[in-house]
Amino acid sequence: MFSLNKVIIVLSIILATFLSGNAVAVETGHFGLGTKATKAEIAGWNIDVRPDGQGLPKGQGSVSQGEGMYEAKCASCHGLFGEGEGRWPPLAGGEDSLTEDRPHKTIGSYWPYASTLWDYINRAMPFTAPQTLSVEEVYAISAYVLYLNDLVEDDFVLTQDNLASIKMPNEANFYMDDRPDTNNTRCMKNCKDPTKIIVVESLRGITPEQEAVDSSSANTKPKLSAAAIEGKATYTSSCVVCHGSGVAGAPKLDDKESWSTRLEHGMDTVVKHAIDGYMGENGMMPPKGGNLTLTDEQVKNAVQYMVEAE
Amino acid sequence: MSPIQELKGIITPNGLVFERYHAGSPTVNPQEHRLMIHGLVDNPLILTMDDLMRFPSESVINFLECPANGGMEWRGPQMEALQFTHGMISCCEWTGVKLSTLLAEVGVQTKGKWILAEGADGAGMSRSIPMDKALDDALIVYAQNGEKLRPEQGYPVRLFNPGWEGNTSVKWLRRLEIGDKPWHHREETSKYTDLMPDGRSRRFSYEQEANSVITSPCPENPWGQKGSYEIEGLAWSGRGKIKQVDVSIDGGVTWRPARLKGLVLPKALTRFSLPFKWDGAPGLLQSRAIDETGYVQPTISQLRDARGTNSIYHKNSIHTWKLQSNGKIKNVQLK
Repeated sequence: MFSLNKVIIVLSIILATFLSGNAVAVETGHFGLGTKATKAEIAGWNIDVRPDGQGLPKGQGSVSQGEGMYEAKCASCHGLFGEGEGRWPPLAGGEDSLTEDRPHKTIGSYWPYASTLWDYINRAMPFTAPQTLSVEEVYAISAYVLYLNDLVEDDFVLTQDNLASIKMPNEANFYMDDRPDTNNTRCMKNCKDPTKIIVVESLRGITPEQEAVDSSSANTKPKLSAAAIEGKATYTSSCVVCHGSGVAGAPKLDDKESWSTRLEHGMDTVVKHAIDGYMGENGMMPPKGGNLTLTDEQVKNAVQYMVEAE
Repeated sequence: MSPIQELKGIITPNGLVFERYHAGSPTVNPQEHRLMIHGLVDNPLILTMDDLMRFPSESVINFLECPANGGMEWRGPQMEALQFTHGMISCCEWTGVKLSTLLAEVGVQTKGKWILAEGADGAGMSRSIPMDKALDDALIVYAQNGEKLRPEQGYPVRLFNPGWEGNTSVKWLRRLEIGDKPWHHREETSKYTDLMPDGRSRRFSYEQEANSVITSPCPENPWGQKGSYEIEGLAWSGRGKIKQVDVSIDGGVTWRPARLKGLVLPKALTRFSLPFKWDGAPGLLQSRAIDETGYVQPTISQLRDARGTNSIYHKNSIHTWKLQSNGKIKNVQLK
């Protein structure tokens, strides 16, 4: 027993020494966990671009090439001239408006660097199918959006070599956080003249309605079919942009009338149009809503969800 | 929006934590998910979730707040509910690996001063984080209040920057790149920058300054009969501990110190309390937080004088509830 105790003490010392190693600077690879990222793996994931152009892939695109791409993939939300449809962000206009009562912040009037435009289109646009644009498309669409902001001429070609040299008008007007910028003090008595207090009441009633949870109504709510439940995720990720707000003539989720008009042609036809695309009198449906990575089944279920949902 | 009008204590239950996204909430398979750390490092790594969980873990209790919390009310009161004036705040116990541990493992080169954090969501959400913060208290988090992160909170792994605006705590974290300069991406130029009246804009305004609000009474929790009540509320600061909260019932003419109750932790929600006998008289209820740096929560007028009304983010002014003689509460502002 005595020797066992000794072993335990020695082990404890070794363990304590090992654990306390965390408190001091550990060496690179100390834990030996994970696998080394190869150059090829890093290149596959590393998509970010900086103002100095670091990270830009080799490529180019012209304003004229970008025009058609923009109209096909961007204009349904951002407007033909970058004015913004509905509540989707405007991309152009607003010059010299930043000191006005209602400033109009756009790429041209506000953004400090052109690289941000390239990076964001590449990583996050179009909203329904991010990271599906080719390098050439990102260059061309970026060029066209710069053109919409009168920052380049109509014969301009954007390349990996000239992007960093584009000066954005508002670049000099950004500065690093310099707060605190207020200096209140801890006054306890007679801090202000009570007769001079002006009470400003609510500007307008925009508080969302808060519904009381009523368990009796939960049972009367129609249940969604299995296909519709399956389709809800696709709707949320790929369809809501247009079908949530009704841009480009899209029937809105809760617009029963628009949906029943379309369903007069039969569910199969509606699903076929959703998969193959359709140009109607009231609007246009791009194939699979522009997200070609969706399977036919996913599109079908999403349509089912939109038809059933209220 | 967290229903902070209903919550007790300082911990927000996981299902009631506010949610904001930049392109919806993705479904990420933890078996397939990887975190890559590369850039100006000696030993670039790809980590699985199993790898991450083998590093020594830490747990901290910190608030998480969207910098647009309260941002609807720069020009005047608009919302008749506490949940909508202040509901983009929550406070949880967060568990994960210190980012400094992972940075030591990859061996950051001396030129490495900034880190780009990138999410696996549709926005590829990206923010530039200064190295000082990464080495100070940033965590790579996989659990929240004792269970794995909820999908909408970044499952299986997110960055967490205590005390900083919520969007910097990038969810569904898939990549950390170490560089020598910031990236100036969309969510740190077009958005999350603070426009001032002179047309200039403050950027990288990461910290959430001291703030507080009375949660009872509030529009959702009115008073009824005259008599004893507890004026209760929440205070917090991204710069450290709450040192003191004062309460006024006369619109800021006189103030009395409230008691801080329960845990008082740095960069965490902190409860304050002031027992009060109400005689049925109308009043103007306010709370004013002071943090351990000595910073005193400003009035809305002081904030507007400094920043105008178009900076959207970081509105942390003293909030006023108008107590009416019937016990009902209205959201107002004082000039």
